[in-house]
Amino acid sequence: MLREGLRAAALPGVLPMLLLAGCGGGGDGGGGETPAPPALTAKAVAGKALFFDTSLSASGRQSCGTCHVPSRAFTADPATDHGLPVPLGGRNMDLPGFRNAPSLMYAFLTPGFFLDQGTPTGGFFRDGRASSLAVQAQQPFVTEFEMANQDAAEVLSRLQASTASLQAFVTAFGESVLSDPTATLAAMGEAIAAYETEDPGFAPFSSKYDYWLQGQAQLTSQELAGLALFNNPGKGNCTACHPSQRQGYSDHALFTDFTYDNIGVPRNWNIAANFAHPVSPISGVPLDYVPGQSNVPAAAEYAYYDMGLCGPFAPPANDPNPRRSFQTTTTLCGVFKVPTLRNIALTAPYFHNGEFPSLHKVLQWYVTRDINNNTGNNPTPVPAGPGGNPYFPVGTAYVNADGTPDLLQYNDLPVDYDANVNIGEIPYTPPSFAGGQAPTLTAAEIDQVVAFLCTLTDGFDPKNPAAYNVPAQCQAGAP
Amino acid sequence: MKVRAMKRTKHSTSAAILLLTAALGAGGAAQAAGDEDARLNALQKQLEQLQATLQQLADENKALREHEKEVDRKLAALGAPAGGAAAPALAQAAPAPNAAALPGSSALPNSPALPTASALPPGSAMPADTSTPGGNPLGTFSNGLRLWGYGEVYYTLPTSARQESQFDLARAVFGIGYKFDDRTEFNSEYEVEHAVASADDVGEFEVEQFYVDRRLNDAVTVRAGLFLMPFGLLNEHHEPTNFYGVQRNFVETLIIPSTWREGGFNLHGDTAAGFSWNVGLTTGFDLSKWDFAPEFPPYRNALDLEDSDTAPLQASHQELALANARHLSQYLALGYYGVPGLTLGAAISTGDAVPVPAPPNAPIPGNQRVTLWEAHARWMPSRWDLSALYARGTISNAGLANASNPGSPNPIPASFYGYYFQGAYELWSHGDYKLNPFVRWERYNMGASYDGTTGPVIPVGEVPLSAAPGDYGLWPANHDRVWTLGANFYIGPHLVLKTDYQWFQENVNFKRFDLGLGVAF
Repeated sequence: MLREGLRAAALPGVLPMLLLAGCGGGGDGGGGETPAPPALTAKAVAGKALFFDTSLSASGRQSCGTCHVPSRAFTADPATDHGLPVPLGGRNMDLPGFRNAPSLMYAFLTPGFFLDQGTPTGGFFRDGRASSLAVQAQQPFVTEFEMANQDAAEVLSRLQASTASLQAFVTAFGESVLSDPTATLAAMGEAIAAYETEDPGFAPFSSKYDYWLQGQAQLTSQELAGLALFNNPGKGNCTACHPSQRQGYSDHALFTDFTYDNIGVPRNWNIAANFAHPVSPISGVPLDYVPGQSNVPAAAEYAYYDMGLCGPFAPPANDPNPRRSFQTTTTLCGVFKVPTLRNIALTAPYFHNGEFPSLHKVLQWYVTRDINNNTGNNPTPVPAGPGGNPYFPVGTAYVNADGTPDLLQYNDLPVDYDANVNIGEIPYTPPSFAGGQAPTLTAAEIDQVVAFLCTLTDGFDPKNPAAYNVPAQCQAGAP
Repeated sequence: MKVRAMKRTKHSTSAAILLLTAALGAGGAAQAAGDEDARLNALQKQLEQLQATLQQLADENKALREHEKEVDRKLAALGAPAGGAAAPALAQAAPAPNAAALPGSSALPNSPALPTASALPPGSAMPADTSTPGGNPLGTFSNGLRLWGYGEVYYTLPTSARQESQFDLARAVFGIGYKFDDRTEFNSEYEVEHAVASADDVGEFEVEQFYVDRRLNDAVTVRAGLFLMPFGLLNEHHEPTNFYGVQRNFVETLIIPSTWREGGFNLHGDTAAGFSWNVGLTTGFDLSKWDFAPEFPPYRNALDLEDSDTAPLQASHQELALANARHLSQYLALGYYGVPGLTLGAAISTGDAVPVPAPPNAPIPGNQRVTLWEAHARWMPSRWDLSALYARGTISNAGLANASNPGSPNPIPASFYGYYFQGAYELWSHGDYKLNPFVRWERYNMGASYDGTTGPVIPVGEVPLSAAPGDYGLWPANHDRVWTLGANFYIGPHLVLKTDYQWFQENVNFKRFDLGLGVAF
């Protein structure tokens, strides 16, 4: 009775085999009593306390959990960030960051950065600049526009004053470590990494998709069609970078291969750093921390670009195993690490710069990116309508700060690096595409893919499917 | 030839021993006085020793005669060397006329080796050859050591995609064998594919065979190690002089995954009536790394198709490279060569595979069983060489895995098959030149049926063939019907020049013109 339901509706030919499997007893398959999760180690207990301890920030209002909200799959909540695509931080909580906070779910399964036959793979942060989860977890404590401690000593002093986490920290690491601020910060990173690794809430594999694999849930025809489009190399081809097949990093499919790609996401003008003279949208203070970039060509349209692997952010100085710098490897400028799609419906906005607010918009952009979106890429844009871009009227995807069309191709990348953008794989349909420039997914098919992506949301209860926390954008009729 | 030469040596030795015996006897009669009793006793012991030696030699001679008959019978079954109408493989199966002149052969009279079947050219194209590596006409003998080799160079021109023409040293193979005694020998083959094998190159270096044979008695030999599976006409005899066409046929590449080898052991032998048998226990297939989601077509032309390792059993064979041995396969191969010029054979292998991947909280009940069987026939009347082969494979219990991957362009097939008919004719010969035109029609289907899916989801129209911008083409079908017309031109038994043209019914753009050079020694 365990796997009988699996795909039976869509695949009647499989049913007899499944029945036989059920008769044979099979395994529990997750249908029995869920065993109690193992107790967290002392380090992980300390890490959990640290993770949610706002007293460790200079503002006293920010913890890891502020930008990595559990109910949002450990991503930021734009509602608390004044609708911005990047979190706010700093001593006065008025300093915007540079990137959309990534989900921490399943993050501990990320491999350390390595070159897989020359292909950048793994690492932590969206640019892989931290070699481990523990190194990554230390950085926000001493980042000016995040928790804004001046240095490790200030972090230590706040920890010693913390009623929320000091005791747990000392229990895990002893008191002697407190004599060394650097060692204390390293231990805090270690503790937070232990929490993110041990706590089953970070990797429950409890989505409707997972239960469907177990035969305890049925995907609707819409969702199943979406998965097929997701896998179809001629349609969505999503699985090429977000594999629905396990890859060796876990026994489960993680929907990321941890590689890097440059997909030419439009510049997001809701990120203050993208302006010539960036100021806080909250307080108006100048953002002096926006880094200069030596690898932005002089002829570039803007002075600042977030180019992922090649900068502007360097590997942390306190990383014992620092990733090599790719600042001069300009062919990698603009590549970002492929994120997992598990819980993707909970983690809007999307992409490293939070450019798109919904999965529908993401897919609509993917399949029409190269169709009359900008004159640089398509010198003879086709008007919206049949044969044109049904989702983005000409000149609306790539725009200047004032909303007028940006005539440059892929405007969040120096034009000299346009060749780095991936135009060779479906779902992109550049003008040279032999299949023509029609989007590889129709509007109805986009609906199906989104329906499938929504099944990757954890927290499905096969005994009570109606209680599934379906994200708003997964509701019928969502834009 | 080599067998007979060695036998003469043994006969000569026997005669010498008889003469010595007579001389010793005469000497004993002349000693009549003194310590006569002691001498008589000594002589009696010598006589007893000589009698034992003679008996041993007589037994060996008997075994040799029987073996010689067996060898002659096998050779006759393959068409006999005389007549000049033999197929390419036959030319090699025949005792090579220049064998005696091979370097090292003069060392044989002093060698303890007996002219057993293993003294035949390694890999003689005997049906279900049970003693030697595939297809080599001759080896170099030196105190039991044997060396051989083969290789082939291709020029391939896809006539619909001339930019993809290739010139390739497809394989260079060298073999090393050693005969420890008359019942025990070792054989191995090492192959470099595509000329350069390194981390940055496309080539591979492989151990293709590595096994020992031990003859238990005249009827049974046991083999252990990494060995070629006795399936079809080509797998064990895949040297370029042994098959028609520049490349190997598709059925014995995509369905029977030539060069198919497994690790394990077998028992094999022949009967006086011309039957051969071979039964073994080997490593099996590995479905754990099955790629349900190739982003790009795994092959873009016919040459790619054969090299891409995407056919069901090509993708899952283990080649004894840290092979998972949780499950073993069994096989049985039978052959008949009792009628001169006729070869019949069939084989079946079955066993559970390393299972397809499944999440730990959603295991797939049961295992996937992989079964492959084939039947073949070859008939060589006069100058003709006619052959046919059918092969079919099944993979069970893949429905759940396929159902978990809807939209996959590469689900696991429940069944796959292929068959071909081939006719060749020795049109012309002069000296050691021979010209053998041939025609072959074959059909293969790498996904005849599926469980858990209606089949591969193949993108319609042109799609990217690689991540390189602008590299577009059609996603090829996994089944086809192929005509091949060509000729092998032999320069002696060791060199062959080949040419052919192939037409494909489904993947019409695969049609190609080929030139090849093959060598085997």
